[in-house]
Amino acid sequence: MESKKLVSLFQEDLCIFSLRSRKKSSVLLEMVRQLKASGKIADERFILEMLKNRESLGSTGLGLGVAFPHGRSIAISDLTVLFARAASGVDFESLDGEPTRVFFLILAPSEKGAEDYLALLSQLTSLVQQPETLKKLYEAKNFEALQTILGGNDE
Amino acid sequence: MREEFKLLVALQDLDIMIREAEEKKTSDKFKDMGFQLDGLEELQKGRAKLAEKIPVALRNRYERLAGHYSMAILPVTGNKCLGCFVKLPTSFFSSAYSSELLTCENCGRLLFIP
Ligand SMILES: [Zn+2]
Repeated sequence: MESKKLVSLFQEDLCIFSLRSRKKSSVLLEMVRQLKASGKIADERFILEMLKNRESLGSTGLGLGVAFPHGRSIAISDLTVLFARAASGVDFESLDGEPTRVFFLILAPSEKGAEDYLALLSQLTSLVQQPETLKKLYEAKNFEALQTILGGNDE
Repeated sequence: MREEFKLLVALQDLDIMIREAEEKKTSDKFKDMGFQLDGLEELQKGRAKLAEKIPVALRNRYERLAGHYSMAILPVTGNKCLGCFVKLPTSFFSSAYSSELLTCENCGRLLFIP
C-alpha cells in the first residue's frame, strides 16, 4: 500500500455500522447508495452492475463472516473503500456458507492499473485472519472503534 | 452521458474483470487471497449479452481499439488524453461537444466528458 496508512483510506461517510438490508443484492445496493450519497460516484448503476458481475465470477464472501466486494471502473476516480457491518449477519453466499457480518467494498479506477487495489485487498484479507481483530470488527459500532482497530494493525 | 456510452463503459469494466480473472499474474493473486474465480464462463455470457445492446458500428470501433489498448474508452479529466497523454484541442471542451463521444486524434481512443 505504498506508504499510505491503511486507516487513512477510510472515511466516516463511507461506513455503514448497521446495514438495513438482509439480502445479497440489497446489501450491494445499500452500499452503492452510500457511495453515491458521499459523492464518490455519480452513477449507481455502473458500480452496482460491476459488483454483481464480480459476484457471478465467485462470491467475494470469503468466509469467517467477511466479504470483499470489489472491482475496477472508470466510474470511480480514486481508490475507495467502504466499510459496512451487519451485526446479525446476512446471507452473502459466502464460501463457508456462514452469514456475513463485515464488508469491505473496494473500488479502484481502471485506468491506473491493478497494483494499489490488489495491495489493499491483500492487506485487508490478511487483517481478518487475525482472530482478535476479526472479533473487534464484528463489534465495531462507530468510526472511532474502526479507526482504532485499523490503526492498531498498521505497520 | 448518453446511454450507449454508458454501455460501452460497462463493457470495458467487464473486459477488465475478465482479463483479471484470465491473466495468471492477477488471477494467482486473487486465488492466494482466497477468492474463487469459477464463474468466468458465466461472465463471458454476460459480456456477450451486454455487447449486443451496443450499436454495431460503435461496438466494432470499441472492439478494434480494445485489441490494441487495455483501455479503449476513457473519460476526459484534464487537457490530455489519459491514454497517450497528448494534449487535446480546445474545441473538445466547448459545450457543443459535451454529449458527444470524441476521438483522440493521436491514438484514436474513444473519449467522453463525464
Ligand atoms: Zn490519445
